[in-house]
Amino acid sequence: MPKNMVDAQNHGVGMIVQEQGTIGNISVASNVFTGRLEEFSKFGFINMKAVTKRAQEILNEIGAGDINAASLTATLNFEDRKIVEIARVMVADPDILIVDETTTALAMKGRKILYNLIERFRANNKAVIFISHDLDELMSVCSIVTVLRDGRIIQSLEGDKITQNNMRKLMVGRELSEHYFREDYECTYGDEVVLDGKQITYGSFTNVDLQLHKGEILGLCGLSDCGMHELGKVLFGIEKPITGRVTLPQLDKDAEVISPSFAVKHGMGYLSKDRDRESVILNASILENIEMPSLNRLAGLLGYISSNSEKKLAQEQIDILKIKCRDSKQRLTELSGGNKQKVVFSKWLGCKSDILILDCATRGIDVGVKAAIYQLLEEMKAEGKSIVLISEELPEMIGMCDRMLVMKDGAITAEFRRSAELTEADIIKYMIGSVESNAS
Amino acid sequence: MPAEKVAVIEDIDELLIKKAQRKDMIRNVLPFLGLVFTIVLLTIATHGLLLSGQNLVNIINQCFTTALVGVGAAFVYAYGGMDFSLGPACGLAQIVFIGSFMRFDMPVWVGIILAILTCIIATMIVGAGSHLLHLQPFIVSLCVRSICTGLLEAGNNSMGGKIVVPMDTFGFFNNNLLKTIILLATLVISWFIFEKTKLGKEAKLIGGNRVTARQSGIRPLRVIVLSHLILGIMVGVAACFMMARNGMITSGSGGGLEFNIMIAMALGGFPMEGGAAAKIRSVIIGVLTITFLTNGLTIAGVDNSYINVIKGVLFVVIVALSYDRTNLKQVVFM
Repeated sequence: MPKNMVDAQNHGVGMIVQEQGTIGNISVASNVFTGRLEEFSKFGFINMKAVTKRAQEILNEIGAGDINAASLTATLNFEDRKIVEIARVMVADPDILIVDETTTALAMKGRKILYNLIERFRANNKAVIFISHDLDELMSVCSIVTVLRDGRIIQSLEGDKITQNNMRKLMVGRELSEHYFREDYECTYGDEVVLDGKQITYGSFTNVDLQLHKGEILGLCGLSDCGMHELGKVLFGIEKPITGRVTLPQLDKDAEVISPSFAVKHGMGYLSKDRDRESVILNASILENIEMPSLNRLAGLLGYISSNSEKKLAQEQIDILKIKCRDSKQRLTELSGGNKQKVVFSKWLGCKSDILILDCATRGIDVGVKAAIYQLLEEMKAEGKSIVLISEELPEMIGMCDRMLVMKDGAITAEFRRSAELTEADIIKYMIGSVESNAS
Repeated sequence: MPAEKVAVIEDIDELLIKKAQRKDMIRNVLPFLGLVFTIVLLTIATHGLLLSGQNLVNIINQCFTTALVGVGAAFVYAYGGMDFSLGPACGLAQIVFIGSFMRFDMPVWVGIILAILTCIIATMIVGAGSHLLHLQPFIVSLCVRSICTGLLEAGNNSMGGKIVVPMDTFGFFNNNLLKTIILLATLVISWFIFEKTKLGKEAKLIGGNRVTARQSGIRPLRVIVLSHLILGIMVGVAACFMMARNGMITSGSGGGLEFNIMIAMALGGFPMEGGAAAKIRSVIIGVLTITFLTNGLTIAGVDNSYINVIKGVLFVVIVALSYDRTNLKQVVFM
């Protein structure tokens, strides 16, 4: 048993973690060689030129030559920072590599780099422990799959026993008799536009038009840096667009979404991709988290909020969403990822939101909770609520959305309507496609 | 097999909950014990003088201003803010008050309003300024502190150094009944606002995570402005009473107030980083502890400068023990 991470590293164990593991305000090269700068020092001076040069060579080697080793790490996006971590592991050259849910942060480019790395480990007779909930990925990468559930090892699968169905069964602990994605293939939604984005420019995207209808599940998909996450934030008023505007036509044709508080007041809700930092308060209780957007509704004379009304609201939501907890006073730090996500949903269900913007709603969540969330989305759609679903996971998009907008390099490159024939390949073409294919 | 498995999971849940309960208990019970311990120890050290009738009246007088400012500061600390300029702002308010009366012959009630306004302006610059300019409240409050100190000195010098407060006019501020009524009313009202209304809850939520709070429809600026408004009013009121109690104003008036508040909060178990665990109760316990401590040590014959050393050491130890590091864990590098 290693004493700590440094001890593990010295004995040939490397790890790429799920969370951010790089230091923002130093250069990429320094991050690649964290803890190893000694090797470049002479008389106490570090030859930064040599460090940068060597780091760039490593980045080039793993196929990430577009990352400049001399640049400040904080200027890179989340994905590139993960790639820097991969480069760091390459330097350490461990015998055992642990990859913890890393691919959730990575789009195609990063995944390819990581898969190459894993392949190289395999070729050199070294071992990789790959932790993931992405079943497709597990099938393509792993030679043995061990399924854990509720903190226990359930079973290991090998060879052709590794199938999505087998894994899913073991993960949930019962046959998934109830359905997973939507079973209908009709593209159905009302005529009324409930959220209207016109000519929005912000960050990496320009002049995007988008209309969300009553009872519609609208998908936004693309690679992680295509601008869809930022678009989600603009739609909810968190970020102000440089040009264009987002309006709620049902309220008034000039009702512009200018701030999150305006959005919440008029029945909108938002779930961030970065749940722990942006969508929940970890140190607060379930009750305090759930009541957050409902405080205005709960408040009576002089802003008085009665304990009973709070408790009623929280308990209702805990029951509806079957949040596993002792009581509503339990803190979020003591909940699993799936349960935390349920708390986020109950925040918005509790304040009766009609328009939900969900950025990676099922990221880092086990299959059981995923199924519950998909079912919830279907019920909400049936109630006439409108949902914008932002995700990189195409099966989920094809499985749930009425319409899908594909974004690439800050523009919408294609629109698909729900149909049984739609395949991932159709969409991927527009996510990473060349200029010719965009023309069609 | 499945039944057995469920039992195991329940145990783990239970374990987590027990751990959290233990942590909560430490946070809730320890300050009480600290207060009792302080009183018992100092009662022995002062041969019972600490709890004599006359000294208890003294104690109420001494904790009066700290308690008023403390409950005001609770709102600011709850949302994750701080104000390091309270002492000089309180001193400046006293100069403004006495100046309006002695130099410009204004009635007392105008002076009270001016004193409160002075403090509101100072706290507002710290609160709204740091939020709008995206600066650390500590930095902004240092600037305000410097401004207030400068104005206090200039005002004090222009009125001839030590200003003696005319007691025939301001004596009523020393009425113990008036003080007790104001203190009780303040405690009840601030408890109600802090624990039972939207404003108090929002402040704590912002302290827990400002980004999440904003994305959940809470307007941080509104909460910050109101919190600093409450603090400003409390400091202003405290300034009026402090002036009458001391009987004179010097360039050092109000000094040390902000530090006393911070130690009181730490002693009472009020989380310095704000958030859901913030309670008005903690402020009250903390104020009582610090007052008994200062008063008792003085009676026991400990030199004033040593009392400050003791306070400083206590502060560091308590903050180190009680600081909630769960938020830090997420950003710590490998």
